[in-house]
Amino acid sequence: MGTALLVGAILGILWFIEKMLGTPMVIRPIVVSTIIGLALGDVQTGLLVGATLELVFMGFIQVGGAVPPDVLVGAGLGTSFAILSGSGAEVALALALPIAILAQSLKVVVFIVRSYFMKYAMSLAKAANIRGLITLNMAGLVLQCLMYFVVGFVAILFGSTAVEAFVNNIPGVIMNGLQVAGGLLPAVGFGLLLLPMMSKFNVLYFIFGFALFAYVNLPILGITLFGVVLAFILVYEMPGKNVAVAGSNIDEEDLFDV
Amino acid sequence: MSDKKKLTKDEKKMMHEIFWNSFMLEASYNYERQQALGFSIGMWPAIKRYYKTKEEQAEALERHMNIFNTTPHVVTTITGVATALEKEASENPSFDKSIINNVKIGLMGPFAGIGDSLFWGTLRIIAVGIGLSLAQQGSILGPILFLLLFNIPHMLVRYYGGVYGYKLGTGIMQQANNSGIMEKISKGATVVGLMVIGAMSASMVKLNSAFVFTVGDQKIPMQDYLDQIFPLLLPLLYTLAMFLLLKKGFKPTTILFITIIFGIVGSLIGII
Repeated sequence: MGTALLVGAILGILWFIEKMLGTPMVIRPIVVSTIIGLALGDVQTGLLVGATLELVFMGFIQVGGAVPPDVLVGAGLGTSFAILSGSGAEVALALALPIAILAQSLKVVVFIVRSYFMKYAMSLAKAANIRGLITLNMAGLVLQCLMYFVVGFVAILFGSTAVEAFVNNIPGVIMNGLQVAGGLLPAVGFGLLLLPMMSKFNVLYFIFGFALFAYVNLPILGITLFGVVLAFILVYEMPGKNVAVAGSNIDEEDLFDV
Repeated sequence: MSDKKKLTKDEKKMMHEIFWNSFMLEASYNYERQQALGFSIGMWPAIKRYYKTKEEQAEALERHMNIFNTTPHVVTTITGVATALEKEASENPSFDKSIINNVKIGLMGPFAGIGDSLFWGTLRIIAVGIGLSLAQQGSILGPILFLLLFNIPHMLVRYYGGVYGYKLGTGIMQQANNSGIMEKISKGATVVGLMVIGAMSASMVKLNSAFVFTVGDQKIPMQDYLDQIFPLLLPLLYTLAMFLLLKKGFKPTTILFITIIFGIVGSLIGII
């Protein structure tokens, strides 16, 4: 019980630090496993497991909207099970990945729940209630920290067999559905962003950017550079003609009609 | 450009506040607006300085609640530029405020590109390389060195990026005022912004069809056909559909709900 509380608290607190200090990398395995090792009284195993898992999870990073397997839970619980069962880095490795993948879908749920917060955030913004906005932001963070605490606590309390059984018992179709929805939800945000910017005629610029990624697989930075060049040509090289390219004067008015 | 210009004591104080507020950028990261809540809180030191009435402050906060996403380590540079634009907007009644969001959107893509490759791709890997070899020898210096090697540059970029962004933004504004350049910037920013949103939609919105045609004995996955016509056609159509629903007046929350139902039901009947 005490150990379960301790591991849960470490996971929750590490996530809190990570998101309160602007992503300083304290949730990487090399750090997480060492701290778990310190807490459970076996720093050496912690360091070794951390080094091993760091190599494995090196590529799992959150870039943009994609949610990779959760390295914090994977490394934290993998290391805990390895130390508590007296086995080495291999056990940690075998456990870390499935746990990380399970935790990833819990993270998706938190991100979806917080999407619903945004309506409330908008009403706070409309009232210029900065205290409220900061409190809401912190509440969103604490929600995720609690999720990590509960995951750590329950997993250590009921052990690895229970963790495995739980993963196997979630209907695959529901997991898949949530995963699909998670992949689609950014579309709502982009739709909101397009709302004041896009008109009948300049939708082509949007499709142009989309197609450059879809067909040519250019990185976003490259597409931005193309965009800058295109904008430069439209604005400076073809003065007077840019109206014809964009469509019409009505289009220009639409642009500014926010 | 006004790089040589020193910040006043007051402006310095604001940059300190922006630095500290920027840390909470991702606390409530979510699918609908990503880092928007954290970003508007990051803008607050500027908003409260430039706008005195509650209505103006509310308008500015709402403006910055638009979807936002960039590498957290470099966000202050964008906050700095947006701060300079807000300053101009508060002083000049004829300033077109939609430019602020367009410039922000134009910047978040490239900054995510530079930031991800610099911080996630390069700096982190170097720090891991040095930290790992020590950790493997059982030295506690491993993780400590890893954190220091990563975070010292991180903090420097976070602080000075903000100052630089603010100076850069003010410089652009000073030039802009006397040459009537704003319309051009607005037009240009819209073109770049739309292309970046297009590219980001293509890279972040994910939808594949799991539907399989059966022709005689042959099984043909529908996704293969779609890929031949237009790769990522489904994410494009979905994003445009969301845009059209919003334009028709649907609430974002309703659309989120529709999307989750769509995911689960689609998965149940096996089309996605």
